[in-house]
Amino acid sequence: MSSRNRQQRQIRGPQSALTDFLASHNISANQIRLDADARRRAAEADGDGAAPPQDAQATTASAAEPANENEDDTVAALPARGQRAAARLGQERRQKEQDVIDKIKSGKKKTSKRKSKDDDSDDDYELAKALSNAARPPGQSDNCAVCGKRFTVTAYSRNAPDGGLLCTPCGRELAKDDAVPKKKPKRLGNVEGRRQVQSKILDGTYHTGAKSLMTLCIETLAKNIDLADDISGLPSLVVDKIARKLSKHRLLDPNTLNLFIQPTVDELAIYDGAKLSADEYIRVIQTCPELKKLKIFNGIHFKDEVMDYLLSRHIELEDFHLHGANLLSDSKWQEFFQKKGRSLQSLKVSWTDKHFTNAALVVLKDTCPSLVRLKVMHNQSVSGDGIKGIARMPSLRHVSLDLRQTVHSDIYVDLVNRLSENLETLSLTRVANVDNTLLDAIHNKCRRLKKLRITDSEIMTDEGFYRLFTGWTNKGLEFVDFQNCRQLESMQPRLNPDGVGLCSKGFVALMAHSSRSLKFLNVQGCRHITRQGFEEAFGPDKVYPELVKLEISFCEEVTDFIVGSIFRSCPKLHELNVFGCMKVKDVRVPRGKILVGVPNAMGMVIDGDDV
Amino acid sequence: MTTNGDEAPASKYVTLISADGFEFVVLREATLISPTIKGMLRSPFAESKTGRCEFPEINADVLDKVVEYFLYWHKNVDKPNVPDMDIPPEICLQLLQAADFLGLDKQSS
Repeated sequence: MSSRNRQQRQIRGPQSALTDFLASHNISANQIRLDADARRRAAEADGDGAAPPQDAQATTASAAEPANENEDDTVAALPARGQRAAARLGQERRQKEQDVIDKIKSGKKKTSKRKSKDDDSDDDYELAKALSNAARPPGQSDNCAVCGKRFTVTAYSRNAPDGGLLCTPCGRELAKDDAVPKKKPKRLGNVEGRRQVQSKILDGTYHTGAKSLMTLCIETLAKNIDLADDISGLPSLVVDKIARKLSKHRLLDPNTLNLFIQPTVDELAIYDGAKLSADEYIRVIQTCPELKKLKIFNGIHFKDEVMDYLLSRHIELEDFHLHGANLLSDSKWQEFFQKKGRSLQSLKVSWTDKHFTNAALVVLKDTCPSLVRLKVMHNQSVSGDGIKGIARMPSLRHVSLDLRQTVHSDIYVDLVNRLSENLETLSLTRVANVDNTLLDAIHNKCRRLKKLRITDSEIMTDEGFYRLFTGWTNKGLEFVDFQNCRQLESMQPRLNPDGVGLCSKGFVALMAHSSRSLKFLNVQGCRHITRQGFEEAFGPDKVYPELVKLEISFCEEVTDFIVGSIFRSCPKLHELNVFGCMKVKDVRVPRGKILVGVPNAMGMVIDGDDV
Repeated sequence: MTTNGDEAPASKYVTLISADGFEFVVLREATLISPTIKGMLRSPFAESKTGRCEFPEINADVLDKVVEYFLYWHKNVDKPNVPDMDIPPEICLQLLQAADFLGLDKQSS
């Protein structure tokens, strides 16, 4: 032993901490390894030459040995104990093996009690088979149960279906076969999970019953869009739906774009142009000379060069909607209005940072005589001067502004006074400092208004809203959004002595004025509408026949009774939002209606009950 | 089901005939999801008497899928969380055209 040790010591290399520790206790790691190797070799030799087992006991010994390897290691690790200790351990081990065998045998007997004869030799055979099938420990070699090749067993080796182990390639084959039937039941049906249903409810796209065949087809098409080569024969509504679906999955790229650009199209909507370069936009303009309506979202690369190309073509756009094109300079916008403004009827510019300015809006009044619809959203540059420019365009019927600059009420009042005759849509988002004078101007001038949005005003008062809706000769509104028109007072948030914001009086007047026509109402965050106000507006004799969506989140006074009254008085209501209405606890929701934002663990309720 | 006047009460089933002559006998109620077929089965038209609707633009394999959809829709009326029907991609475009023709673009009727 000592001579072998000396030889081994000549091998140089890093030593592990464990080896050092063992050496300090006069134990040789090398010795342990060599012993283990020897045992492994012996076991392999045994396994190689294994004839069909004649003597159960013999096979047990060889097959069971690897299973007890841990014990072997302890023996090997303690060579200092000497032969006697080893012999005693060996004896113990044999005893254990015998115990195990007896146990198996007795178990076998129990199970085979039904058998008429208790055949001992048969038992032995079964036992031998069971033991020879026992998996070898990792690190040893074994023959693959399928191909018969020799391979090294690892912790990842798979069991063969009828005993034994498999080599890596055979194991992979088996895994492949297994994977298919496992996945199949999941795919079957494609039932949406609860999460997805909830997400759909919040998107407002939830419906009971089957999807329409068209929706199903479009979804299939979007999944297999690379198989489609021509969709030009389809009606434009369907093409539009396909475009939306593709963009939702972010699948619109230079390749799929080809499906939509045909020389004959007069309407093109690119709902997600993020993957398209300036060249692609130029290609669109090249291939579609008939274009009348162009809508581009996320058109980051709609740059000056693209606009230059557009200006050089004989395309007369009527409807132009550009979103996110913040590389397009202001001078190009002006040039566009000057050269192509004559035919323009609808212009929507959103998310352009600072590159769409007052100057461009001022140019509009001279260059776009037929402009009917103007929308400027999320703009950081336009201010009062630009709005003064808009005010001088009598053709406008729909005006939507969402500006980041503060603009004084007087300028909006001027806008309303000048455009009021035709105005159908007035949408002013985030106008914190606009006051009652605007409401009075609307009351005095507007007669054709259908859609009114004034949000986040901190100055308008209940009295102002009351005056607007009392005796107003305008026909009923269809769309009203007064969200977050409320007092902002951090010290005493519940007291509102001056009646700032939309409160009960104004709310009741609004509901009385537009009761027959109202389709969409948003009074989110109008905290000072009282319980009495809601109860009066949705009283037993009130009906709102057209109301489809109602948003009353963060109106603190809303109770279960009010929610019930709302469902009763709005027969067409599809969705009601009550986030932050802490007094809503347990409401029965009629079948097919959606109540979103109930403050419980569910978050939203779709009740199956018929009420 | 409504009856059409002096005639015997309309059958519970209607026959849909594809361009290549295949006939599909379908529950009448299930076909009424399609405004087009609903219109055809209204009284002044010949289809309302015979209960046979011919579709010279629609092939048998597409009509087969359409009929499958009718039954799938009928089975799932007003049920929440309906699993999607499988649509083979190879007839997807033709089916889309058929769906457009039959007015099957609304979520529910």
